[in-house]
Amino acid sequence: MDEAHQADIPNWIQQHSVYQDLMRLDVGDSAQVYAAFLVYMDLTEVRGWSGVFGVSCPELQAVLLEGREKEGDTVQMIYPLPSHRSIKHKVLRCVLDRGSPMLLCVVASDSSLVYQRLCDGFLTPDPPLDIQDQGRRQHRKRRLQT
Amino acid sequence: MDAGEDQSTGDDVIDISFCGSTPLMWKVSDIKKCRGTGVIGALVGSLARQPRQNVRMGRPLELMQEEALMLEETISASASLHTQDCKDEEAARQYEAVLESSYKEQCTLALEDKKTVLRRIMQKKENDNDDSGYAVRDRLNALDQAFSFPRSAMAIQLCTARAGFSHCPDERGFLYTDWPIPRDERSEIRFRVYRDLRSKGYYLTSAGKFGGDFLVYPGDPLRFHAHYIALCMSMDEQLPLCDVLAIARLGSNVKKTVLLCSPQKPSEAGKEERIEEGVVYSSLQWSSIV
Repeated sequence: MDEAHQADIPNWIQQHSVYQDLMRLDVGDSAQVYAAFLVYMDLTEVRGWSGVFGVSCPELQAVLLEGREKEGDTVQMIYPLPSHRSIKHKVLRCVLDRGSPMLLCVVASDSSLVYQRLCDGFLTPDPPLDIQDQGRRQHRKRRLQT
Repeated sequence: MDAGEDQSTGDDVIDISFCGSTPLMWKVSDIKKCRGTGVIGALVGSLARQPRQNVRMGRPLELMQEEALMLEETISASASLHTQDCKDEEAARQYEAVLESSYKEQCTLALEDKKTVLRRIMQKKENDNDDSGYAVRDRLNALDQAFSFPRSAMAIQLCTARAGFSHCPDERGFLYTDWPIPRDERSEIRFRVYRDLRSKGYYLTSAGKFGGDFLVYPGDPLRFHAHYIALCMSMDEQLPLCDVLAIARLGSNVKKTVLLCSPQKPSEAGKEERIEEGVVYSSLQWSSIV
């Protein structure tokens, strides 16, 4: 399946220096490296992240990306994966335990990207929108019934 | 320990009735005591005066397997299995007799009630000089023959606070059954996560509606919204990425963080004392990157 996928990758990508760098890290199968390249392009070209480069992760046999949203921000670690894969909690912890804030990026077959933030422990969510006082509405209802 | 637990009261044992493998609680005092220890459960019975709705429910309180196990571990709770078939014919006959006399009593009372209503109507019509009062009087006179009280209208009282649910210690010992909850790997994982989150002070309810295992509240669910949807899994369990995406998206829509919870494997042999086995938590949030 990997060989078929390799042939599908457009020439301009195969010849791209960054793609070749990522391949040269010699971890991850071609599908995962391709996903990493797409995420790299999104982060650098679309979102304007700085200092993005590939990092090899031998324990996971995958290519990770490291970068900053803008100059001076903390480094974040991104784990790109093709969408048809499965993941273990152990694997996610492996990346989390490196210490940097982590993003999981899932790459669909149509090249659309979905980012999710992962962090250790309990991250309190944003509070829900305030519920308005329903009191007056109730009185209005009662008047309709009598 | 919670302040709610009163060691001085004689009978501290809580009764958990099992219907198959579903743990239920019937007594209000037991339910109150459990709430004090953080076990919430879910009311699943219908209220006598508010049938045919699902907004307000009554007893019994259905417990999650983890809640029942927790009660067994922390405060004393004994399980009793109420047998479905009652082989005791004498008891069955007595019960039928009680039902029959209750029915007759209700018939009489219903008839009296109806007569009173008709008399009142008649009186009112006479006061108003309304001639249609004659029709009402005829009905009243015919009532003794014409009145029927169908069996389906009969009210049946279920005694939950009396015999059958409050046994003396000797009887309870006799009725006590082995815990009928199966303990496979999946339920072990869920229970370890439940116990750990409880020990951290969180309140938990079932998260079936959200596709997760537990809803995690920072306090009593009557006062707070849930903060997390807890997903229990082993460290090695494979999760399809589509499922991860789906639940993260759901969490974002309902303003809850998805919590991946995995019990840590016990530490390798070689250490003298047994190290407390913890649970690893990872928070998953839909990224704010647009």
